[in-house]
Amino acid sequence: MTSTTKAFSFLPFQSIFPQVISIRDVKGWNLKTPQSFRLGSRWLGHTRGESRPLILVRASGDALDSSGDSERAGDGTPVEEEGNRLDLERKLGSLREMVNSLPPVVIVIKRNSGSKFAIALCVAFAFLVIATRQIMLKRKNHYQGSVADLVRRGQLRSDRRGISKPLKCDDPFHNPFIKFGKGDSRIEMFGKVYRLAPVTLTKEQQSVHQKRRSRAYQWKRPTIFLKEGDPIPPDVDPETVRWIPANHPFATTASDIDEDVAQHNVYQKHGVPFRVKAEHEALQRKLESLQSEQKLNEVALDLNNIRDFERPFKSSMKPQDLEPNSSANQQNGHLTLKSDEETGTSDSESLSDELKKY
Amino acid sequence: MASPLSHALSSSQYILPPRALLRLQALAPRRRLRPQATAAAVSAAIQWNRKPQLAGETPRVVVVTSGKGGVGKTTTTANVGLSLARFGFAVVAVDADAGLRNLDLLLGLENRVNYTAIEVLNGDCRLDQALVRDRRCPSLELLCISKPRSKLPLGFGAKALTWVVDALRSRPSGSPHFILIDCPAGIDAGFITAIAPANEAVLVTTPDITALRDADRVTGLLECDGIRDIKMMVNRVRTDLMRGDDMMSVLDVQEMLGLALLGVIPEDSEVIKSTNRGYPLVLNKPPTIAGLAFEQAAWRLVEQDTMTAVMVEEAPRKKGFFSFFGG
Repeated sequence: MTSTTKAFSFLPFQSIFPQVISIRDVKGWNLKTPQSFRLGSRWLGHTRGESRPLILVRASGDALDSSGDSERAGDGTPVEEEGNRLDLERKLGSLREMVNSLPPVVIVIKRNSGSKFAIALCVAFAFLVIATRQIMLKRKNHYQGSVADLVRRGQLRSDRRGISKPLKCDDPFHNPFIKFGKGDSRIEMFGKVYRLAPVTLTKEQQSVHQKRRSRAYQWKRPTIFLKEGDPIPPDVDPETVRWIPANHPFATTASDIDEDVAQHNVYQKHGVPFRVKAEHEALQRKLESLQSEQKLNEVALDLNNIRDFERPFKSSMKPQDLEPNSSANQQNGHLTLKSDEETGTSDSESLSDELKKY
Repeated sequence: MASPLSHALSSSQYILPPRALLRLQALAPRRRLRPQATAAAVSAAIQWNRKPQLAGETPRVVVVTSGKGGVGKTTTTANVGLSLARFGFAVVAVDADAGLRNLDLLLGLENRVNYTAIEVLNGDCRLDQALVRDRRCPSLELLCISKPRSKLPLGFGAKALTWVVDALRSRPSGSPHFILIDCPAGIDAGFITAIAPANEAVLVTTPDITALRDADRVTGLLECDGIRDIKMMVNRVRTDLMRGDDMMSVLDVQEMLGLALLGVIPEDSEVIKSTNRGYPLVLNKPPTIAGLAFEQAAWRLVEQDTMTAVMVEEAPRKKGFFSFFGG
């Protein structure tokens, strides 16, 4: 008895594809050459109905069998090979167990053939929902260019364009939220049920009401507004006077607005508004006056500077000579200053020349 | 006299879509309706996806008033004005409340009001500079009379507003189609200022006796002043309370005031939310019940039409055993 076990694994499994299994040197069969035979699907088809179709699989060969050994890759480790063989057997065993558990499920399915129909229906419904959703999304996301936004914003007219939809105003009398009953005047709207009741007011009834009101309310439009306590002007109908309390928070009888100007302001269509223009002009005038004042001050400063220059010149002269002429100089200086003011020019050289004469 | 149902059918401007109108025609006697049914069917067919046809002379100066405060004048002005602008009409909304300005808040334009009519009168700006254009809907413009805390010379207010309306009519960019004037509450100087340039009026009221009494008085004053085209809008309608007979019905209100109906606006919590957001109701998508009602009222205003039937809430129909199968 050889140490090797003849590893005949009977694997009850079903396989669709043809398998090539080599059987090598199976003892007892006296096969010396590897033989292969095919497991055709036909054979498998025959055996499918059986609970346990067997397929013979031989593990690798005898360690003492030199012929078998010679065909190996030649690693020469029989212990490892046996270990591998055992692992393989374990795996095959677990696979066998798994496969053995399958038939009962199949049998259950076969028994409940009605649920197949339900499952198929659910799957079909799911596909339908998905397809419908895709179609709806496609319709919604129909891409429009950004020029359509210009039409929507009212910048472009839609009727001249072929690519964008024209603006539609929603008809409030045709609304999907309003449902009407069949055969009667019932209307369902926003979760409530209504019925139509025709209006009964006639033209005659309307005129009766108008007469009643004209008798009840005698009213004249007020043409004058007076503060409480003010006397009524003599030519004014007392019924056209409207009294305003003196402490009214939002009303006043005082009118600071010029009516003609106000009317002109209301009807103005172009240009700068009246008050803004008036303020602008006032500001300009003020600016101009400020500028002219500044110029005068500058002129005054220049003349003062000239007098400063005069001091050393005056100090060289005798005080006796200066005294009778000082008043004359001053007078002349004043005269020239006045003339300069009038002309708006300052001529320091002419002044100094004149002063030199004296 | 035609039956109420046929009278209702003869006008196509109500909430029903055309199919409902045609079905109602089937219920009514055929002989009387034959000459009118064709017109109703034709107009119903035309109504689909069309713009409202502008009636009357432009600019149509409409004052929105009530007498009593808090009934929804400013909300009505904002939503109807925006609806008109969405229909493609040029609209100028004027907040004639000198001391308590609110229309800019509802429209969400409060941060963009730099100039008011007072500044225009004083010459600080031109009229076109005082108009604030709504960026969501460029054909809507807002004009405020004055800034808060500023005093308006009241003897001057009516004249000033008349000049403003006249200047808008003759402006270079073209006369607006509608000028909506939001009137202040009461019947004092502010009311007189607001109604001065108006040709027609929309009276906003709620179905309670206090508002109705004030509305009746205001209607009398408007008629004395020469404004004859007055239409009523009933706001904050609670159909559940009406069903339980705890609130006057819209027909009762009409019987008391004797005015044609422009619109019936149901109570809607979205009104408060839209006020907080500065986003008028009519811009909501999907539309709210009150927003739809405002749009329909705006449509009727454009076409100078009135409601011929109102909706009365009923208890929902109990479903039978076979309702699951469509029975």
